[in-house]
Amino acid sequence: MSTVIVSPYGVQAIQVLTILLGAPLVSGVIAHIEGRFQGRRGPRILQPYYDIAKFFSKETLVTTDSSWVFLVGPIVAFSCYLTVPLLIPVLTTFPLPLGFSGDILGGGFILALAGFSVALSGAESGAPYAQLGSSRAMTFGALIEPTILFVIFAVALITHTDLPYALSATIRSSTSQMVRPSHVFAAVAFFLVVLVDTGRIPVETHSGTLEFGMIDEARTLEHSGPSLALLKWGSTMKQLILYTILINVFVAPWGLAATGKWSSVLLAVAALLGKAMLIGLIFAVIDNLFSKLRLFKITEFIASAFLLAVLSVLVFYVGGG
Amino acid sequence: MMVPSTYDGVAAVLALLVLLTEFAMLRAPLLRSQVRLYAFQSLVVTGLATYVAASKHIDELYVLAALSLVLKVVIVPSLILRLLRDADTDLAGSSVLGVASAILIALVVAAFGFFAVGSLHVSSVSLPTSSLAIACAIVLVAFVLIILRSDVVSQAIGFFSLENGVSVASLVVASGLPLIVDIAFLFDLLVAVVVFGVIMRVHHARNATLSTSDFDRLRG
Repeated sequence: MSTVIVSPYGVQAIQVLTILLGAPLVSGVIAHIEGRFQGRRGPRILQPYYDIAKFFSKETLVTTDSSWVFLVGPIVAFSCYLTVPLLIPVLTTFPLPLGFSGDILGGGFILALAGFSVALSGAESGAPYAQLGSSRAMTFGALIEPTILFVIFAVALITHTDLPYALSATIRSSTSQMVRPSHVFAAVAFFLVVLVDTGRIPVETHSGTLEFGMIDEARTLEHSGPSLALLKWGSTMKQLILYTILINVFVAPWGLAATGKWSSVLLAVAALLGKAMLIGLIFAVIDNLFSKLRLFKITEFIASAFLLAVLSVLVFYVGGG
Repeated sequence: MMVPSTYDGVAAVLALLVLLTEFAMLRAPLLRSQVRLYAFQSLVVTGLATYVAASKHIDELYVLAALSLVLKVVIVPSLILRLLRDADTDLAGSSVLGVASAILIALVVAAFGFFAVGSLHVSSVSLPTSSLAIACAIVLVAFVLIILRSDVVSQAIGFFSLENGVSVASLVVASGLPLIVDIAFLFDLLVAVVVFGVIMRVHHARNATLSTSDFDRLRG
């Protein structure tokens, strides 16, 4: 059994399945840990699966004012989240056949398309809070964009390509690659980007119910039934995708499968989910250490992420690279 | 371009951390948090000195590291905190610019320092060349802090952290500098602390404020 080789296309399918099926689990673990930190028992670890199943069995209500965009948005977003795992190193050290169909920028575009379609769908509902959420999500998404660009510049300078596989391999190659300042600062900047994009604490209380502080959460207030299920599932997938990029490209690209053997691929799945939960633990700790920033202070937070990313590129050019 | 060695990488990261605390000072709204940031920055400089001493076997640097630990991490911050307790002011004087634009300006200035010094190609045995560029950026950002903030404490902290930048530069250029010169630098700092302490006390006693905006009126 353990010597059976999975074909590269098979591994690629497993990558997508890992993200698809593992994402609610990672979210559940994080929510559980958070509950513990706050002195609660916390929801069950499998709660996100139950939630998604429940939403799928309910009916979808659509306001009379909204058009087909309202219903298509969640589906487009969900299919975007299914596409990105094809492009990034989720399980393997070696590039998979479809891995070169898009670079980091391509993956970023697809994630942006997902965010855009969810925002459009929220705005189409005509409800004020959903529109407020969409508008804010787009605004802060645009503000964080320069940081992402500079992180990509840093990656491109270090590896001479902008393929996520290349950086992952470069980091693994030696310790000096791991501690070189341009990489360290790009990684920290990307960490802050993940913090913003997954809507965690200094930027947003992801579990709050107060609309005035909401950004990402508010977009989905009008959705119900299967569309809401797709949105919830999609947001957990987006979180796991960003964690995967952070882990397997920037911070800890170890424990990946070097061959297509069944055993090593399964081990890589377990390693990825384990590492994602560890990263989630860090995010949960941050959630408890800081309070939410006021909406207009978020630009300061984004400016600090930008600062790190720019310093990472600058120090490369000065030769300290 | 060549990949820096592990030693160079760690050293440059430490130097960049000093630069980052300088940026954090630009953002810090409380006087007390600014002093704490200075203590942290001095701790990083001490760490950098210890790291260089341990890796390059320069024993004199241990003495310097110990001195700066005692003086810059413990004594100076606790002195200023004590002065602050007497002058019950918490908030730093409002900056001329908002935080985001202040950081962007400081970033441009730092980039100027980076490339100005980076093009000199000063080579050093003890630290990577980039550290000198980073040290120059630290000094320039400290200047931005002094210019933008309008209270005595921020300006004093800006001046002290400027000295931290100079310490990083001296580690790069002359880590084998005679110890007596380094100690002279540190005593310079002590004099500055006394002078700024006197200004703070006198200014606060006369005007009941730490803001420097009252300094533009000439009085006999």
